[in-house]
Amino acid sequence: MMQFPPSKFLLWVKYHLFTVDCDCKRFRKFFTRKNINQDNFLRFAIDCSILLTLISMNKILKLLMSALFWMGFISSLHAQSRQITGQVIAEDGIGLTGASITVKGTALGTVTDLDGNYSLNVPGDQVILVFSFIGFSPIEVAVGTQAIINVTLMEDVESLSEIVVTGYGTQKKSQLTGAISSIKAKDISEVTITNTQQALQGRVAGVDVIQQGSRPGAEPRVVIRGRRSFNASNDPLYVLDGIPLSTGIGDINPNDIESMEVLKDASSTAIYGSRGANGVVLITTKRGKGGKPTVWYNGSYGFSDVLKNIDMMNGEEFAEAKREAARASGKYTTDEALFEVNELESIKLGRSTDYVSGLLRKGYIMNQQLGFSGGTDKTNVYVSFNYFKDNGVVFNTDYNRNVVRFNLDHEVFKGLKIGMSSFLNFSVRNGESFNPLGGALRENPLGKPYNEDGTLNFLPTADGLRSNPFAESVDGAVLNKNRTTRAFAGIFAELSIIKNLKYRFNFGPDIRTSKTDNFRGTYTNERRLAPPTAWVDNATIFDYTVENILTYDKAFGRHNFNVTAVQSIQKDRFESSGVTVEGVPAETQLNTNLGNAAIINGVRSNLVEWAIASFMGRLNYGFDEKYLLTATIRADGSSRFGANTKWGYFPGMAVAWNISREPFLRDVSIIDNMKIRLSYGSIGNQAITPYQTQGLLGRTFYNWGNSTAYGYQPNTIGNPDLKWETSTTANLGLDASLFKGRISGTLEYYMVNTKDLLLSRQLPTSTGFGAVTTNVGRTRNQGFEGTISTINVDNKRNFKWSTDLTFFTNKEEIVELYNGKVDDVGNSWFIGQPLSVFFELKKAGIWQTNEADVAKSYGYVPGEIKIQDVNEDGKINSTDRVIHGSGVPDFSGGITNRIQWGNFDLSAFVFARIGQTIRSNFHLSNNTLFGRYNNIDVDYWTPANPTNEFPRPNQNQEFPKNNGSVSLFDGSFLKVRNINLGYNFDARTAGKLKMSSLRIYSSIQQPFLFSSFVSKYKGVDPETDISQTLDGGGNPSTYTVSFGVSARF
Amino acid sequence: MKKYILKTDINLRALLILVSILVSTSSCEDFLEEKVVSLIGNEYIATAQGFQDASNAMYQGLRKFYGSELGMTMTEMGTDTYTNGADGSYKYYNQYTSQLDPRDNWITVLWTELYKSINTANAVIERGASITGIPAATVTLRVAEAKALRAHYYFVLTQFMGGVDLRLTETVGPETSITRASEEQMYTQIIKDLEEALKDLPSSSAQWGRYTKLAVENLLAKVHLTRAYRPFGSAADFTKAETYGKNVINNYGKKLLPDYGQLWTLGNDEHSEAIFSVQYSYDLLSSGGDGNRFHLYYLMEYDTQPGMSRVLEVGRPWKRLRPTNYTYNEVMVNRSVDSRYDKSFVKVFLATKAGTFNTSLDQSKPKITVKVGDTCIFMPGYEMDAAERATKPYQVFTPSMYQERHFGCLSKFLDPKRASINEEKGGRDFMVSRLADTYLMVAEALIKQNKNSDAVPFINAVRQRAAFPGKQNEMSITAAQVNMNLIYDERARELLGEMHRWFDLKRWGNLIERVKKYNLEGKDGIKDIHTYRPIPQIQIDRVEGGNASFPQNPGY
Repeated sequence: MMQFPPSKFLLWVKYHLFTVDCDCKRFRKFFTRKNINQDNFLRFAIDCSILLTLISMNKILKLLMSALFWMGFISSLHAQSRQITGQVIAEDGIGLTGASITVKGTALGTVTDLDGNYSLNVPGDQVILVFSFIGFSPIEVAVGTQAIINVTLMEDVESLSEIVVTGYGTQKKSQLTGAISSIKAKDISEVTITNTQQALQGRVAGVDVIQQGSRPGAEPRVVIRGRRSFNASNDPLYVLDGIPLSTGIGDINPNDIESMEVLKDASSTAIYGSRGANGVVLITTKRGKGGKPTVWYNGSYGFSDVLKNIDMMNGEEFAEAKREAARASGKYTTDEALFEVNELESIKLGRSTDYVSGLLRKGYIMNQQLGFSGGTDKTNVYVSFNYFKDNGVVFNTDYNRNVVRFNLDHEVFKGLKIGMSSFLNFSVRNGESFNPLGGALRENPLGKPYNEDGTLNFLPTADGLRSNPFAESVDGAVLNKNRTTRAFAGIFAELSIIKNLKYRFNFGPDIRTSKTDNFRGTYTNERRLAPPTAWVDNATIFDYTVENILTYDKAFGRHNFNVTAVQSIQKDRFESSGVTVEGVPAETQLNTNLGNAAIINGVRSNLVEWAIASFMGRLNYGFDEKYLLTATIRADGSSRFGANTKWGYFPGMAVAWNISREPFLRDVSIIDNMKIRLSYGSIGNQAITPYQTQGLLGRTFYNWGNSTAYGYQPNTIGNPDLKWETSTTANLGLDASLFKGRISGTLEYYMVNTKDLLLSRQLPTSTGFGAVTTNVGRTRNQGFEGTISTINVDNKRNFKWSTDLTFFTNKEEIVELYNGKVDDVGNSWFIGQPLSVFFELKKAGIWQTNEADVAKSYGYVPGEIKIQDVNEDGKINSTDRVIHGSGVPDFSGGITNRIQWGNFDLSAFVFARIGQTIRSNFHLSNNTLFGRYNNIDVDYWTPANPTNEFPRPNQNQEFPKNNGSVSLFDGSFLKVRNINLGYNFDARTAGKLKMSSLRIYSSIQQPFLFSSFVSKYKGVDPETDISQTLDGGGNPSTYTVSFGVSARF
Repeated sequence: MKKYILKTDINLRALLILVSILVSTSSCEDFLEEKVVSLIGNEYIATAQGFQDASNAMYQGLRKFYGSELGMTMTEMGTDTYTNGADGSYKYYNQYTSQLDPRDNWITVLWTELYKSINTANAVIERGASITGIPAATVTLRVAEAKALRAHYYFVLTQFMGGVDLRLTETVGPETSITRASEEQMYTQIIKDLEEALKDLPSSSAQWGRYTKLAVENLLAKVHLTRAYRPFGSAADFTKAETYGKNVINNYGKKLLPDYGQLWTLGNDEHSEAIFSVQYSYDLLSSGGDGNRFHLYYLMEYDTQPGMSRVLEVGRPWKRLRPTNYTYNEVMVNRSVDSRYDKSFVKVFLATKAGTFNTSLDQSKPKITVKVGDTCIFMPGYEMDAAERATKPYQVFTPSMYQERHFGCLSKFLDPKRASINEEKGGRDFMVSRLADTYLMVAEALIKQNKNSDAVPFINAVRQRAAFPGKQNEMSITAAQVNMNLIYDERARELLGEMHRWFDLKRWGNLIERVKKYNLEGKDGIKDIHTYRPIPQIQIDRVEGGNASFPQNPGY
C-alpha cells in the first residue's frame, strides 16, 4: 500500500516544481482553449514566466544542495593533517569512556577508550575541538599549536534543573508533583508544522491530536486523556501567556512559542479549576532578551497533492451498475431504453468524465516568518510577523494567516515590571463551507461536460437534480469567504510588595470579529438556473480576563514554601447578525449590495453572554528537594448554572518523592534521577452552552390569510438545578532517568471518576421536547500512558541516534445512568461501554441466490444486505441491534526517531491509532447504489458476483436498505506523519554570510497511510473526529513536501 | 530625581493595590447572573402577549403535515390512486417494503412536530385560566381553538398509529414514564375536545385560517364517520356524522363553487367552499422554512424533453407521484361529460426553446420543430395510434408510454407565483377540508344507514357541479346506482391527490385489498400490518421500560 514510491520521488519533485504555482483554473482554461490569441496572450506570458521562475528555482536549489555536500569534503582536503592526543576525565578524576571529540564544523571525530584516552588527526591549527558526553556540559578547545589536550568535563546541572511553566508560576522539573509534559521551541521549530496543535502531535503522551480533514486552515482537535463527558466539550483549556482563551488557538503563530506545557492530572490543573477539566495547555510565547539584538527569518515552501485518488466508478463501471440497478428491479430491456441520449453517446464514444480530478489541483503551503528580539537592561522587545498561505488541493479552497506579535517587558523601577503580550491576526479562508467535490463525487460520469463549441454544458445529463460541477469553479459563480480579525493583548504589572511577596495584575482583552461572505450564482447546482442568492454573516466576540495574583516564596533551612493566591473573573460576549437575499440583479455584485436583491429570505441576529468568577489558593512545600507537596483549593462560580448551584469547590492534593536523592540510591550509578508522584483531586466542568437552566421559547411562523402570525412555543425544557460536573482524578506517576540520560521517561497511571455528568438526555418526543440537559450518571476513564526516550547511539564520529516513544491507552466506560445501572437504549448508552457506541443492525453478509427462500421469510431478496437475526425470532427489526464498537481507540502511540550526523539531522514520526470504529459519511453519501449518482467503485453483489461485501444496485432505492450496517468500518490506521531532513551550517560558514546560524531543511508531511478502510473499502482517510463522523464531502487526504530555510542574524 | 522616582514608586504601589481591591470586591452575584436577552423564557406565555403568541404557535404543526413531503408521502403514496414516480427517498411508503420501519424519518418527524404543537396547545389550555390583561372572551376563544387543534392533531396520529401518548397537560420536566392510551380512549378525548370547542367558537373568524365552529363541526363529522368503522364505534356515529355534516352544509352559508376549476385558481384561497385551510404565504421571511410544497410532487420530468426547459410557469418536477391505471381508466372516465379530468391534469406543455429537436418518447416522427410558446407536448390521456400522432407537429404522450419519469400530472397544486423556479416553498393555502368532501361524507354516512336514496342529492350536488356546461343531467345518478363502490370512485375523482386517500382506505378497511388490486408497485409488499404505521423507535427506546410500557404496533 505504498502511496509514494521513493523511486518516483525525484520525478515527482520535478513535475511539481513545473506545475505547482500555476493555479488549476488558469491552466485548465488555458489548455481547454487550445489556441493562443490576443486575449489570452498576456496570461500565456504570465504562465510562461512563472514556469521559468520555477525552473530556475529548481536549478538554484539543486546547486545549493550539491554545494552543501561538497563544502565539508573540500575543506577537509585543503588542510594539513596532524595528530592530537589526550585524556577526558570527569570532576572526580576518573576517565570517561565513550566521550566524543569532534572537529567543529566537520564530520571528523573520535571517541575515548576505556580510560578516557583518545587520539585524533586534525586538519591544521585553526580548528576547534568539541568534547562532549551525555549528562555533561560540552567544552570547546581551540587547538592552536597544542599536541596534547586533556579536558575535564563538568556534570550538566542545567539538564536536571529544567524549568517548567505551571499554572500561575514556574517550577523546576525535578520539583514537580503533577503530571505535566513540556515542549520547547526547539521541538517546534525542527518540524514543519502549520498550526499550534500539530506541535503536540505524537510528542506528548496522553494527548490525542486529531486531524479534521485536510481543508486548508482546518485546526486539529486536541483531546487530553480521553473524553470525560457526553455533552460538555472535551476541548482542553488553552492559556496564552497566562490568559485563558475563550476561542481557538489557530490564530497563533507556532514559531512564536517558547514552550508549551500540557497539564494532565487534577493536581496540576486544579489551579484552573473548572476550566481545566479537560486538561490545560499553557502556551508561553518568546520574549525579548537583552544584549545583542537578534533578527531571524524562517521560510518554507511546500507542495501538496492528494495522497490517494478517490476511486469512483468510471463511465463503463457506472453504466454497468446502472444496468444492474435496472435488472434488480426487473426493468432492464435494452441500453437504448435505459440510458438517455448523452449517456448513450458517452457509452458509444467511450467517454467518461472524472469530475473529481477536474476539481483537484496541486496545492502549496507557504510560510514566511520574520522576527526581532532585543532590548536594554530595562526594556525588552520581541516582534514577529508571519504570513502563512495554504492553497488547498481542492479548487477554490485556500487559507492565509497574517500574524503580528508584539511582546514587551519593561522595568519601571526596581520591583515593578510591566509588560504586554499581544498579537494581531488577520486570516482569510475560502471554501470553508462550500466544497465543489461534494457534487463532483455524485456526478454521473457518462454526462457530456462540454458542448461541441467547447463551452461548458451546464446540464451534462437529464437528471433533474444535478448540474455540471465544473460550472462552480468558473470565476464568480461561488463565493464562500470568511475573514477573521483578532486582537489579543495581555497586559501585566508585577510588583514586589515586600521581600518574597509578589503581586501580579493581569488584564487580557481578546477581540475577534469575523465576516462570512456567500454568493451562489445562477449556474451552480444550488441554484440550478434560478436567480442568484447571497448572504452575509457577521460575528463579534469580546472576551476579557482580569486576575489578581499574590505569591509568596520562602526558603529556610531545607524547607521551601511557595504560596499562591488568585482572584479572577472572565466575561465573554458573542454577538452575530446576518441577512440572506435572493435575486441579486447582476452576478458581478456578489453579496456586496444586498439591498438591491428582489427578495429578503432571512434576517437574523443573536447574543450570548457568559461569565466566570474564581478564587484560588495553592501551597507548594518541599523538604530537602526530596519530599514535595502541593495542595490546591479553588472556588468557581459560573453564570451557566442555576441560582443555587452557581458555585463549585474543587480541592486537589499531590505528593512527590525524589527517591534518587535518598542516601540508599545516591550511590546507585545507573540512576540519575527518579521520582514518584501521587495526586488526587477534583475538578469541575461547566462546558455547556449558556441558557440551559432556563426553559426557552422558539419562534413559530404562520399566517392569517395574507397577514403574518408569528408566535412562540416551548422549545427547550430548562433545568434550574443544573450544577457542576465533577471529575475526581487519581494519578500515579514515575519519572526516571537512567544511565546518564541514555534512557529517560515518564509512566503514568490514572483513573478519572466523573459524577453529575452534564448530559443532554434524549426524551420521548411525545413530551414535546427532544432532550434536556441534566446532571446524571457517572463515567470512568482509566488509562496508562508513557513517554520513553532513549539515546541509542552517541559519540561515535559525530553520530547520534535517539528515539522517543509515546503510548497511550484509555478505557472509557459508563458506570451509572439516571436509573442506576440500567442501559438507556434510546440514547445508545450502555453500562460498561464507552460514552458513545455504534448501536446498529449487524451485517452478516449479502443474501445469496441459494438463500432466496430464507431471505424471503425475512422480507428480503438475494442481493440485499443480510442482517443478522440476533434474537432469532425470524424477524429483522430494532431488537436485533448490537453494539459495534466505538470511536475510542484501544491504543494509540507514536514513535519518533532522530538521527544527527555531523551537521545533518533526520527525524521521522510514525503514529498509529488502533481499535476504533468509524462511521463513514463518505460511504453513506456516495455508496448509494441505485444507478443515478456516481458511486464509490465498490465490490457489489450481482447474480454472477456472489460477494458478501456490498449489496446489489437497485434503481428502486435512494440508498441500500440497512445501509447503516455497511457504513461502519475498522478505523485503525498507521500514518507516517512526517519525515524531516535538516542541515545546520557551521558557525564559520554562517558567519561569512553575516549570520549567527543558518539551517536549511526539507520535510514530507503524511507520506504514507496504512489502513484497511482506505486499501480495502476505498475510504479517504480514517482519521476522524471523536464525534464519530467522517465528512462525506470532505477533502481528500493530502501529503506535502516542503523545503525551508531558517536563519538568525 | 531619586526622590521623584521614589514618589512614583509609592503612588504606583497604592494605585495597583487600589485597583486590585476594586476589582475583587465588585459583586460576584451580579457578575454571574445569567440574563436571557436575545431569547425568550417560558414564563412569557403567562403574559397577555405571550398567551396570544402561543395560541398562534400551536397552529404550526399543521404546516409540518399539510402541504409537506411528509404529508404527501404518508397519505397519497401506497394507495389505489397513486404510485411512486422516479424520484424520492421514500418509495417504500408506496412499496411497503421492510424499510418502512420504526426508524423511518417521516414517522419520527410527524410524531415530534405534532407533539410539539400539542404541548403548546396544552400550555394555552392550562394557562388560559390565569391570564390577565386580555378580555376573558378572547381567552375562552383561544382555549377553544387549542382544544380543536389538539383534537385535530390527535386525530391524525390516531388514524396512522392507533392509540398514542394521550397528553393533556403541558410538559414541565423530563418525563419518561409514559404509556399508550387505547384507540378508543383517543376517540373519546378527541370528541370531548371538539364538543367543548364547538360551544365557544364563533361561526367564522375575522382571521382567515383560525379554527371556527364550522371547521369543528366538519371535523366532528369526519371523526364520527371514522369511529363508526372501528370495533368500538357504533351506528350512532354514522348518525352523528350525518348531523354534523348537514350542519356544515346548511348552517354556514357555504356553497360549492360553480366551477370545479375555480377551486384551483391561484389567489382564490378564501373561497366559499373552503372550510378549513392551512395557511401559507409567498412572504419568505414569514415562511419559517415551511411552504406548500405540493407543486413539486405530481409533476413529471417535462424539462428535459425536446423543446422544453424548466420554467416557473410549469414548475419544478420532483416526480414523486404517478397516477395508477385505476385513476386513468376507472376514476377519470366519462371525460366528455365530467370536467374533472381536464381540470385536474396538465394536458399541454408549451415549448420554451425554439428549434428542431429529436423526439424522445413519441417516436411517431423523428424530429419536431417548434417556436417558443408552441404546443410541445400534448397529453390527451387516451391512446392515439402512431399514424395520428405523426400528423401532429409536437410530441403526443399517451398512457401506454407512461413510466416513472413521464406520466399524467396533477395540475391542482402548481404554483407559478413562487419567488423563483427552484423555490420549494409555495404560497398557496392547503385546503384540509372543503364542502365537496362534506357532501360525500354525508352521503357515505347515509349509505351506511341504508338510506341510499337520501344520499342521492348529496352525491349529485358534487357530480353536477363537475359537469361540463349543459351536461349536468348526464352526470346525475339514481338511488339504484348508489353504493359504496360509487363512493370509492367518487371520492377519488373529486378529491384526487388532496391528502384524503390513505385515510379513506383505512377507514373503509380496504387499504390492503385495493393496493393489491390497483397499485402494481405496492401490491407485493403490503401486508395486514400496514393499516397502522409504526410508532417511532426513538419514542419506544426513550420511554422508561421501552417496548413493555410503550408497545410497538404489531408486525414492526
